[in-house]
Amino acid sequence: MNSISEQITQAVGIMFLGMGLVFVFLIMLILCIKLVAMKFAPLPQDKPTRTPDNEISQTGRVDPKIVAVITVAIQQYRAKA
Amino acid sequence: MEGLIAFWAASGIANFTAGQVFMMAVGALLLFLAIVKGFEPLLLLPIGFGAILANIPNGGFIDEGGLLFLAYHVGIETGVFPLLIFMGVGALTDFGALIANPKMLLLGAAAQFGIFATLIGAIALNWVPGFEFSMKDAGAIAIIGGADGPTAIFLASKLAPELLGAIAVAAYSYMALVPLIQPPIMRLLTTESERQIKMEQLREVSKKEKIIFPLMVLGLTILFLPAATPLVGMFCLGNLMRESGVVDRLSNTAQNELINIVTIFLGLAVGSKLSADKFLQLETLGILVLGAIAFAIGTATGVLMAKLMNKLSGGKINPLIGAAGVSAVPMAARVVNKVGLEANQHNYLLMHAMGPNVAGVLGSAVAAGVLIAVLG
Repeated sequence: MNSISEQITQAVGIMFLGMGLVFVFLIMLILCIKLVAMKFAPLPQDKPTRTPDNEISQTGRVDPKIVAVITVAIQQYRAKA
Repeated sequence: MEGLIAFWAASGIANFTAGQVFMMAVGALLLFLAIVKGFEPLLLLPIGFGAILANIPNGGFIDEGGLLFLAYHVGIETGVFPLLIFMGVGALTDFGALIANPKMLLLGAAAQFGIFATLIGAIALNWVPGFEFSMKDAGAIAIIGGADGPTAIFLASKLAPELLGAIAVAAYSYMALVPLIQPPIMRLLTTESERQIKMEQLREVSKKEKIIFPLMVLGLTILFLPAATPLVGMFCLGNLMRESGVVDRLSNTAQNELINIVTIFLGLAVGSKLSADKFLQLETLGILVLGAIAFAIGTATGVLMAKLMNKLSGGKINPLIGAAGVSAVPMAARVVNKVGLEANQHNYLLMHAMGPNVAGVLGSAVAAGVLIAVLG
């Protein structure tokens, strides 16, 4: 049976080894994540582009032609019924 | 008349020992904490009930062939239950916050200091008469500082099965007590202005990055720390099922039905280790004290590391998030968020704290792997 102080020396050794390994392992992981990010990270300007449809809904104005088409369609539907 | 005597001799009242009554009271206390206080109910409820079942005189639950004996024998002695839980946790974990800001892994690493400092503490406790922890026992006790239930159970079943009950109960109790243990330490080590620091919004993370991440973690573990592959491997499997998006059925099962079933039996089996003859020992008290110290040190080193990173980055990192490095997902991150809001009502740190939080899970799994490799 080792004396307690010997065991403590051993435990201190394991502490440095353990913390060292945990840090080395996770630092390697950081580097790998960065490498992957360089290749696969989404580009910052990747925002959805505005389509004309979006603009209509945002401004609240509707193309008069479309209004006309819808009006005719409704009239035809009512005429049928 | 003889029949009546035989009935009396087999009844609970005639056979109770003081220890069994005490342990049933402990079980009832765990039930109380779970039901009334809402502390980790998913685990403390089955553990508490298991503790009551295990101490029934002539109940036979923990004798060979009994239900709790079998659950322990099949699930915990073999290490299967904690690994299945880890797969479920992997399927539940979103690494987005960590991938967006990988430096947070350093906080998850720093907080593991609690584990290794407690290793020394456990050995030093041998100076007190009545304690005789071997190096393996010390390693198993120290992992409580990782604040990760499955990891603690897995390591204890490998290194010190006879201490498993006390270690599991300590680990889960302290995880439940995170909102009480951590905030004083966090406030002590940070200044008011540091707690108010707002952090930049995290960048978006692509699906490809999320799919590659678990594979990368697994690859590194295979290369450098095969002893941690049972834990990390199952974790990565769960996470890959989640992120790949092609096996939603499996992912759902892992994060719902499977983890629930395993949790029931894991809790009962851990509770079965709370039988009076095994649990009511001086060592248990030592383990509870050491566990609390491990937890406190881990929180402190996490915060200190975050302070250092804050200095180096020119004041961009709120030191509070270091406390989340102890894992205990997601409780620790919520605590960080709460303490942050106390300092500044508009400062939501939850997303930023999730990074170190999930890093802590990886960190404690790696630390467990190191302990198995060195001591096992």
